Amino acid sequence: MTRFAIDIWGEMCPIPLIKAKKKLLSMQCGDILVLETEHSCTSRGIVVWAKANRYTIEEKEVANGIWHLELTKTHE
Amino acid sequence: MENSAFRSQRKWNIGFILFLTLLLALLSQISIHLTLIMVLGISLGFVLQKSRFCLVSALRDPILVGMTQLTRAFLLLLGISILGFALVSWSAAQRNIPLSLNIFPFGVHTVVGGLLFGIGMVLAGGCSTGILIRIGEGFAMQLVAFFGLAVGSVLGERSVKKWSNAFGEWPGIFLPDILGWVPTLILEIIALSALWQWARWWQKKQLGE
Amino acid sequence: MKKTLQTIIHGPWAYWVGAIILGVLNILVLIVRRQPWGVTLNIENWTEWIGTNLGILNDRGFTFQGLMAASGTYLNLGLLLGAFWATLVASQVRFRPIRDKKFFFSALIGGLLMGYGARIAYGCNVGALLNGIASSSLTGWIFAVAVFLGAWLGSKLLLKYLI
Repeated sequence: MTRFAIDIWGEMCPIPLIKAKKKLLSMQCGDILVLETEHSCTSRGIVVWAKANRYTIEEKEVANGIWHLELTKTHE
Repeated sequence: MENSAFRSQRKWNIGFILFLTLLLALLSQISIHLTLIMVLGISLGFVLQKSRFCLVSALRDPILVGMTQLTRAFLLLLGISILGFALVSWSAAQRNIPLSLNIFPFGVHTVVGGLLFGIGMVLAGGCSTGILIRIGEGFAMQLVAFFGLAVGSVLGERSVKKWSNAFGEWPGIFLPDILGWVPTLILEIIALSALWQWARWWQKKQLGE
Repeated sequence: MKKTLQTIIHGPWAYWVGAIILGVLNILVLIVRRQPWGVTLNIENWTEWIGTNLGILNDRGFTFQGLMAASGTYLNLGLLLGAFWATLVASQVRFRPIRDKKFFFSALIGGLLMGYGARIAYGCNVGALLNGIASSSLTGWIFAVAVFLGAWLGSKLLLKYLI
């Protein structure tokens, strides 16, 4: 179980999701991807996408208008 | 939310509510009609932000990331609006209340305009509504886009005559005039349901890979 | 109960909830305004007025009084204030600067294309697409297809230049 992080800070929708998808391909099952964004729609979009894919995702607001996401790759 | 970096903005919120109330109270002294419009505008902005509704995402994400949840929500919004508009314009006609719908002429410039608009909204990260919402959220990027939008709209408005002169323009077609109200509504709802089904199938297919 | 209220205030709401409320509001705008909701025409008119006062554009007869009496002004102002308020009630207000130069240019070019496109097609996503289709106008459907194709082309550009 490894933790990965990619920098999506300040990126426009939907680039963060595209980058996250790409990163997930190179990850093993059980690995965690950490993302942080200040864009409400980006955060929401990733959560909706992860849920549709049945990945585990945790969304937390760590500061005013900043969302911290932890996505676990539960399956291939 | 117990994190130390998170500070409640409740005081600012109370101040802003007071400001809005004052603004609306002042406006109501001038015109009740405009006050109502402003209340509707504020509600639209509030709901668009709270539900993260984004028309760009609805039109772009099926292609780019294979998600159609927002597309289907948009189709639902279209369906509600079609039925509501039909009801309102029908009852307005019964009572002889003047009401104008958006029946615009079309021509080559409709297609060109749509293409340019589609490209632009993906690059700018929001359509014209989305830009206003995101400025409200505090994005500097959409402030730049707003400047571009303002300049572009003047250029567009001043050149539309050239487009219609060069390629022709046909008067807008109000579908109920040709097909009648009931067949039009049935046809439109069928079209929206078909798109809805397609969107659902598309997302399943994209996620299944 | 408290949890429900918390969700309403803090959001995010489900997309379909937003769609239903927006649909009702859209119809209410039509009833009150006797004309469907639109965004870009009012922005264009304000720019005309500013341009005229700066001496860049020739006068097309837009006056400050006229614009302040236009319902579109209050819809657009309301959108902005409403979105700000929605962010504020959830304590999510912050300034979000541009973090990369490429986004400055993409926003500027995108905005220009969008403004031009919206005005030669007589409307934006709201005025021409949503409310064009809602008005049962054939133009609305044509515009929708064109915007969809445009979004596809835009996605190609985004993948090529912005990632």
